[in-house]
Amino acid sequence: MNAADPIIKIRHINKYFGSFKALDDVSLDVAVGEKVVVLGPSGSGKSTLLRTINRLETISSGSIIVDGHDLYDPDEDINRIRMELGMVFQNFNLFRHKTVLENLTLAPIKLKKMDRGMAEEMAYELLDKVGIRDRANHYPIQLSGGQQQRVAIARALAMEPKIMLFDEPTSALDPEMIGEVLEVMITLAREGMTMVVVTHEMGFAREVADQVVFMDGGAIVEEASPDSFFDHPVHARTRLFLDQIL
Amino acid sequence: MSDQEKKIEIGDGAAIPDPEDKGLISAWWIALVGTVSLLIILPLLKPDPYARILSFVPDGILVTFKVTIASISLALVIGLLTGLGRLSKNRFINLIASLYVEIVRGVPLLVQLFYIYFALGRIVRVPDIVAAVIAMAFCYGAYMGEVFRAGIKSIDHGQTEASLSLGFNRRQTMAYVVLPQAWRTILPPVGNEFIALLKDTSLVSILAVADILRRGREYASESFNYFETYTMIALIYLLITLVLSRLIANMEHRLSHYERR
Ligand SMILES: Nc1ncnc2c1ncn2[C@@H]1O[C@H](COP(=O)(O)OP(=O)(O)OP(=O)(O)O)[C@@H](O)[C@H]1O
Ligand SMILES: [Mg+2]
Repeated sequence: MNAADPIIKIRHINKYFGSFKALDDVSLDVAVGEKVVVLGPSGSGKSTLLRTINRLETISSGSIIVDGHDLYDPDEDINRIRMELGMVFQNFNLFRHKTVLENLTLAPIKLKKMDRGMAEEMAYELLDKVGIRDRANHYPIQLSGGQQQRVAIARALAMEPKIMLFDEPTSALDPEMIGEVLEVMITLAREGMTMVVVTHEMGFAREVADQVVFMDGGAIVEEASPDSFFDHPVHARTRLFLDQIL
Repeated sequence: MSDQEKKIEIGDGAAIPDPEDKGLISAWWIALVGTVSLLIILPLLKPDPYARILSFVPDGILVTFKVTIASISLALVIGLLTGLGRLSKNRFINLIASLYVEIVRGVPLLVQLFYIYFALGRIVRVPDIVAAVIAMAFCYGAYMGEVFRAGIKSIDHGQTEASLSLGFNRRQTMAYVVLPQAWRTILPPVGNEFIALLKDTSLVSILAVADILRRGREYASESFNYFETYTMIALIYLLITLVLSRLIANMEHRLSHYERR
């Protein structure tokens, strides 16, 4: 794989839930360090697309290659590939029975065989980065939504992934907590992380995205830089969506 | 306390007391004080036969505990496997597990005990107590399977997805993420089953196993003090289940620590 090769290559994927077509001939490239923001109305297939990238959702046809690994090659170990892909969920999904610190150290200790001291040291660094070191020994239920989501980002980063996937990371938050999570994501973006983000935060999309992807009805309708996407949308459905949301 | 407050109601165990209920006047306290008083006062007032009965049954208590502990341990293992089997996407495994549960549910425990005891006796020669344990575990494993299944299903699928997305495989996800959380939902009904099982071990007295009830029957048939003997037997069972139910309630309380703010 040479450096210019995209780290995510999605080629003509289709996805059916029963007879319902959730993804319709979707192709997408993501380059190393690139930030892709996926927009679209509810039910357009944004989550489904994102979840196919780490195979939480399987595809019906097409191919997905992540960092040179074909997700559907039977010789590939999907669990190894997933270690390269951090994922952040709308509902945080922190492990409820583990403290904040344990949430961060569980996977590095068990999967990377990191010794506890090292894992905790790294965990504290990450907690500093997301600004909640003082909550290290709390349980998730004792944190606000914004804090939980920042921990969830730190948990994903603890595996040192090459790519981060975000599925509406701020949609379940009270408005006053959205900023603190976006801030962490912007920092991450500045550091050069490859990111695919499903969101309704247009400000974030404009500021951070290298590429905006607009989906409707399971298909990618428009792909553009944020400036041309927001200022000169080509497709009628894109304009309709932007009119409704802005 | 919101969506996590999922309780599984299965079986007919003794009532588990609420550890938050600090009131001295509760049914549990009255029952405990009454039971202990009778167990002390009766033998003092009338040593013959009450004190004699008390000195006759301790080996039986030991046997009852042995059968109970061994059966519940085995039943937990069978239950976990059955629960996982019932949730398995593999049709064959799923069918086997479901079939097992259906059969056990449809046949009375006493009949199962006789059946396994004599069927087993035809194949291998095992001590009576081992046959009894296998029979009890076979039956209770099916109920435990349902408890495990419900407990595992009560855990939000998001927990599994988060674990998989980190790179854990299905087995690791079950072991590190799902089961430790499911355990909290599983414990109360397991506690109920434990107490129900302890009481049901009285059935093995029929299989020549010298548990509390059998020791009592032996004493009664020699002395003809039927009423007195069964009074003491009932009080002993009651004391054991009362203490156990409180222990389980405390354990349950401790296990819920991460759900408290
Ligand atoms: N497991 C499933 N079974 C059946 N249909 C599903 C399943 N998951 C998603 N769908 C359907 O697929 C379509 C796309 O869903 P998806 O969750 O990807 O939409 P989305 O763009 O993320 O929407 P939202 O903004 O509401 O999150 C929807 O119509 C949804 O109902
Ligand atoms: Mg979605």
